[in-house]
Amino acid sequence: MRREDLTARVMKDMDPELFDFLTTYVDSFVKWDLLRFFHENPHTMDTGENIARYAGRTTEDVKTELQDLTRRGLLVETPVENMRVYMLKADPAIRTRLQQFVEATQDREFRRKVIYHMVRH
Amino acid sequence: MPQETRIATGIPGLDAMLNGGFLPRTANLVEGAPGTGKSTLGMQYIYEGARRDEPGIILTFEEFPEQYYRDAASFGWDFRELERQNKLKIIMSSPEVTKADLEHVGGNIQNLISEMGAQRMLIDSITHFEGLHHDPVELRKLMYAYLNALKRQDLTMILTRESSHLFGEGIEGQLDASIQFLADTYIMLRYVEIESAVQRAIVVLKMRGSAHDTTIRQYAIDARGLKVLQAFEGQEGVLSGSPKRMTESFMKAFVRR
Repeated sequence: MRREDLTARVMKDMDPELFDFLTTYVDSFVKWDLLRFFHENPHTMDTGENIARYAGRTTEDVKTELQDLTRRGLLVETPVENMRVYMLKADPAIRTRLQQFVEATQDREFRRKVIYHMVRH
Repeated sequence: MPQETRIATGIPGLDAMLNGGFLPRTANLVEGAPGTGKSTLGMQYIYEGARRDEPGIILTFEEFPEQYYRDAASFGWDFRELERQNKLKIIMSSPEVTKADLEHVGGNIQNLISEMGAQRMLIDSITHFEGLHHDPVELRKLMYAYLNALKRQDLTMILTRESSHLFGEGIEGQLDASIQFLADTYIMLRYVEIESAVQRAIVVLKMRGSAHDTTIRQYAIDARGLKVLQAFEGQEGVLSGSPKRMTESFMKAFVRR
């Protein structure tokens, strides 16, 4: 079976909006951690180093993913003095989609699909 | 002379100790050992504000907002709902970032304060500022500027500060003398041992520009939050953590019945 066919089969029952969110923002375990972190702490305003500490990941990994999530429009990066500070974008539509994604990950089957998606990357 | 507006804490017994509440645009320090209820007191103050339509911000360093939602829920305060109503925001950040942000015109915190019309703030805790400077003089200058930046936004704040010792006096950190001087009100929470049982004591040591109750009172934390109870009677050295009974003669001479 071709890879595309297998992917289509695994993802076939997924809500299109969740699928879109998944393919747009989630391609690593660190990103998944960060999405959950910003969902649970939506008014966080901090540097990559500190967010890495909160998330229990390495600064290097977290900084790369924060920059990527900023490029993809989920986070906002603000220069404050000589620091780069990250925040979740205030857009209610994005916050709602993030909430839907995090809630969906409560389901084991959905989590399996997310993991499959990430492993493919 | 018109009566000065007070910012009520909503904590039974505490507002009476504070002559009605905090004075507006003041920084009010609550200091105590772990578990004495500093954050509970602060959350209760923020909750009371939301109830009175005086929105508030909790600025937390290292403590996750999730913890506040959970702790508040245990007292029946729905902080998530208050956030939805724009009466509360819990910001997780670090002293260095918030300091730089406040110095910057149109910074994120300033925008948030304006946007939600915040009038109250809980900073939990200022102990984390000690890492910003090793020189006590520089640290004091830094704190002075920080608190003034927040007062400029018309906020009335509670600042919590951990003391490392559970009972009585102990060695304090760099921020100790500075912050006690800079704060407009200084409330101390203490564990005290009386007849082999641990009780809690609260005292208002200082309140700039206002009369206040100077007695050392008991307080309790129950399902509805913190409440101040009666004064310790017939005891001396309560703040040492191990009070002694006053002698009968002293009682007769000095304690009003």
